[in-house]
Amino acid sequence: MSDAITSEDSLTRAAGRQLLTFAFFAIAGIALLMVGLAWASSLTGAASGGNNAVDPETGTLTVFLREEPPQLNSSLSTDQVSGSVLGHVIEGLLRYDEHNRLVTAVAERWEIREHGATFWLRQDALWSDGEPVTAHDFVFAWKTGLDPANASEYAFILYAIKNGEAINRGELPTSTIGARAIDDHTLEVDFERPLAYFDKLVAFSTYAPLREDFYLATSGAYGADADKILYNGPFVIESWVHGASLRMRKNPLYWDRERAKVEVIDFAYITSDANATLNLFKDDKIAYATLQAENLNNAMEQRWHIDRFMDGSVFYIEFNHREGRLTANHHLRKAMQLATDSAELVYKVTKLPGYLPGESLFPVWLQGVDGYLREEYPANYPAMDLEQARWHLEQAKAELGIDEFPPLVLLTGDNPISNIQAEYYQQVFRKNLGLDLKIDKQIFKQRLAKMLSGDFDLVLAGWGPDYDDPLTFGDLFASWNLNNRGQYRNPELDKWVRVAQNEQDTKARMDAFGEIQRIIIDDAVILPGYERGVTYVTHPQMKGMVRRAVGPDPDFTNAWIEG
Amino acid sequence: MAELQVRLTAADFEPLHTDQEIHSLSRPSLSYWQDAWIRLKANTRAILSLYIVLGLLAFTVLGPLVWDVDPAAQDVDQISLPPGADRTATIVAPYAPWSGGSVLPAAEGLRLAETPNSENVRLLWDPVPGAASYSVYRSLFDVGEDRALGLPLVDLFGADAVRFEDRLDLSPRTYHYSVLARDADGTELDFQTLEVQVSRVITAEQALERGLIDSLNDVQIGDEVLMPLHPFGTDYLGRDMLSRLMHGARVSLFIGIAAPLLYVLFGVFYGSTAGFIGGRIDQALMRFADFVVALPFLLFMILFKIAFGIGPGESGILPMLVALVLLSWPATSRLVRGQILQIREEGYINASRLLGAKNGYLVVRHMIPNTMGVILVTLTFAVPSAIFTEAFLSFIGMGVAPPTPSWGSMCNEGIKTMLTTPHELIFPALFISITVLAFNLLGDGLRDALDARMRSTE
Repeated sequence: MSDAITSEDSLTRAAGRQLLTFAFFAIAGIALLMVGLAWASSLTGAASGGNNAVDPETGTLTVFLREEPPQLNSSLSTDQVSGSVLGHVIEGLLRYDEHNRLVTAVAERWEIREHGATFWLRQDALWSDGEPVTAHDFVFAWKTGLDPANASEYAFILYAIKNGEAINRGELPTSTIGARAIDDHTLEVDFERPLAYFDKLVAFSTYAPLREDFYLATSGAYGADADKILYNGPFVIESWVHGASLRMRKNPLYWDRERAKVEVIDFAYITSDANATLNLFKDDKIAYATLQAENLNNAMEQRWHIDRFMDGSVFYIEFNHREGRLTANHHLRKAMQLATDSAELVYKVTKLPGYLPGESLFPVWLQGVDGYLREEYPANYPAMDLEQARWHLEQAKAELGIDEFPPLVLLTGDNPISNIQAEYYQQVFRKNLGLDLKIDKQIFKQRLAKMLSGDFDLVLAGWGPDYDDPLTFGDLFASWNLNNRGQYRNPELDKWVRVAQNEQDTKARMDAFGEIQRIIIDDAVILPGYERGVTYVTHPQMKGMVRRAVGPDPDFTNAWIEG
Repeated sequence: MAELQVRLTAADFEPLHTDQEIHSLSRPSLSYWQDAWIRLKANTRAILSLYIVLGLLAFTVLGPLVWDVDPAAQDVDQISLPPGADRTATIVAPYAPWSGGSVLPAAEGLRLAETPNSENVRLLWDPVPGAASYSVYRSLFDVGEDRALGLPLVDLFGADAVRFEDRLDLSPRTYHYSVLARDADGTELDFQTLEVQVSRVITAEQALERGLIDSLNDVQIGDEVLMPLHPFGTDYLGRDMLSRLMHGARVSLFIGIAAPLLYVLFGVFYGSTAGFIGGRIDQALMRFADFVVALPFLLFMILFKIAFGIGPGESGILPMLVALVLLSWPATSRLVRGQILQIREEGYINASRLLGAKNGYLVVRHMIPNTMGVILVTLTFAVPSAIFTEAFLSFIGMGVAPPTPSWGSMCNEGIKTMLTTPHELIFPALFISITVLAFNLLGDGLRDALDARMRSTE
């Protein structure tokens, strides 16, 4: 009997020992794995730095990119992120300085006449391989931008140059372009039609130079990698790890070397997640971060330095004016216009400082004749008036011959701020007019495709300025504009757009913009929502970061580290 | 040999009396269900869960009758309101653009032009000599030595721009306003700060529109009214959380109960057919079940959505239900088939068959009741998983269309403001957790109660 017990006991013990051994190996294995992983992550992390947001010793500034630039070919790029990166590494004829004034860049001086312009290029402007930047590089770049084979989406901005539009349509060869290099350092441009704002256009990245021999040597891959771009800006791209990081270093060959104050700008993170960037900022990993409405209280509690700027864009509901659409009816649009209050949207729903209630297609910052356009030509946007709105709705029903409106489709992007707005409008129209909206949430590309094909009734859209002239907004609803996604057609509006394009006299042009503004409001072409502001926090040691509505944003070329 | 004489009397043919005593010794006969119920009742956790489930059903079905609030109605005066916040408001005159004048006695420095309220705060200050611009800031916290100014509200240009009206998202609390004067070069000239206590106000028209008063004559400017009650607070558009939770439960519980019921029923039918018939047909049926297991759910959900012609902005609940039913039954059918195969070979089945029982009788009388435990347990465990699926799909935006709420979509919206207004996430998340836990515990209890082998062992 006692034998049995001992044997059972020892068996238990043996099993226990076995278990213990297993447990030991398992824990040891896991620990080893963790150590190994930590080591591996430090290996990959070292490249993008476990450093602080600012490093005064090495002059390194660590920031983030909202998205990966699709490519950095200046003649093809369209998006804001590429524009911001290119603003650091490529320089055109003119550029915007830290006070948003147009200043000389590659061009030393320039002259704009009624039918053309001449630019005199500086001798010491060099490419990053040491060769001088010449007038030929500009002519080549503009030909590239206009060449229909390249299908540049921003080719239209080059239409100001003589034959530009015809070349882009394939009707004329690129050699007929109205731009010539008189010699290496003199560039002459002919205009398609008289143009008052060509100097503002040449600051845009599509007008930046490209050197022919280098461009052709990359055999179509220009701008795809750090070593497949030729630089002439204050910085050069030192490394570009796709999808992960982008690192810039001061350009030793840049003609105005004093301008760049930091040695390295490290775009160490590529993320559009506002919470992720805010956490990186909190951990002192990046030097600035954008704030959302829900982070404002937290930012105040952390006692951060909060900044704000207007990014210059306007956001609105665009109607589908195509024939057969209910929203093509003037009275329906008018009813919706009178049933909304953009002040409520901005002050109670979006809740971010710096947003202005929308009243017009033209944002408040545009220059008019002497002062601001919107002060000289007030929008006189109709106030919310439910009685009038319902009267218009009845008119619309009578005209369309329907008793009840079917649900209208509101196309929107899939970001938090669009979602909130879409749901807000859905309830506003339901409560005030008894109209039902269906929300069609789509990613950016899909939303653009649907806007292009006209698959919507209303769309939450926005427009940012390409150049510093009211025309960048003013021609948006011209019948020929491809960005007129609702296909609004109005000969009277077209007439005023033509005046604004062709007229040389500022007063006459501004009058035309005033008329365009009046038509847009009277005919309820759009429902203005807001002018966007951006609220952000910056590192106390980083100074001189420039935010701007027109041109590269954000711009760190003038930034420096204090202390 | 004496002849045996048997004398039978009539009394010998009397039936024996029924012995009541013996019967009274045994318990009343218990049916399978009665027995299961007794055992379930002994399980406190399971019973508690049962009550919670019943309570949730009442919350969903009866709740909206008691708390009759439109879940889509937006109360923009009470956005992201936590539960139990103060709801008094003072009646004021309708908003009118500010002419720049002041109704308060003149004072020095940064001052209020009018009594501050949640509609607007109107600030005035004295021009600073040499100033080219003024920046107005607002903070919830004391500015302090480190000059944490808070939100930059506006930059005003010109030396005479000495007033500002703040209307941005004002709630009844204390704000610290600061005004910074700068010269043309951006050098700071002057800095003033002011503490402002904001009170909640509403205009008589708004109060009438929101049903707080019966007519405009009922109140005068300065009267106090109570804002609409939101027991669970409001969300980011001022919608009533309680009402949204009730209506959201409809979607969540509908999917949670309808889908498992349908696919478990189908699975039982399919599995028992395969198991009972056996042989090649069984092989073929089960290989088809394996094939269905391999189909990806999310892909089919999207395909069904397109196939049903569900356009943008329409509810994806129907395709979700169809996809769940069509793709989730194999698990149940496998379990049931296994059970049936096992029971088919039991002695009592053979005995029953020898006694002439038909197939239908065998299935209904012996097989299904003996697999009932497995079936019910699968069902109760399928409910939480279906609720989770709905929550997940609504979370990623594949489920309900706004403004219809569901618990999943409410979580999705609430997670964005988790740090500032946690109640928007906590309530729907709590409801999902409680529901799932209740169904799980109930399933646990049912498994114990319905297991035929544990029958009457106590």
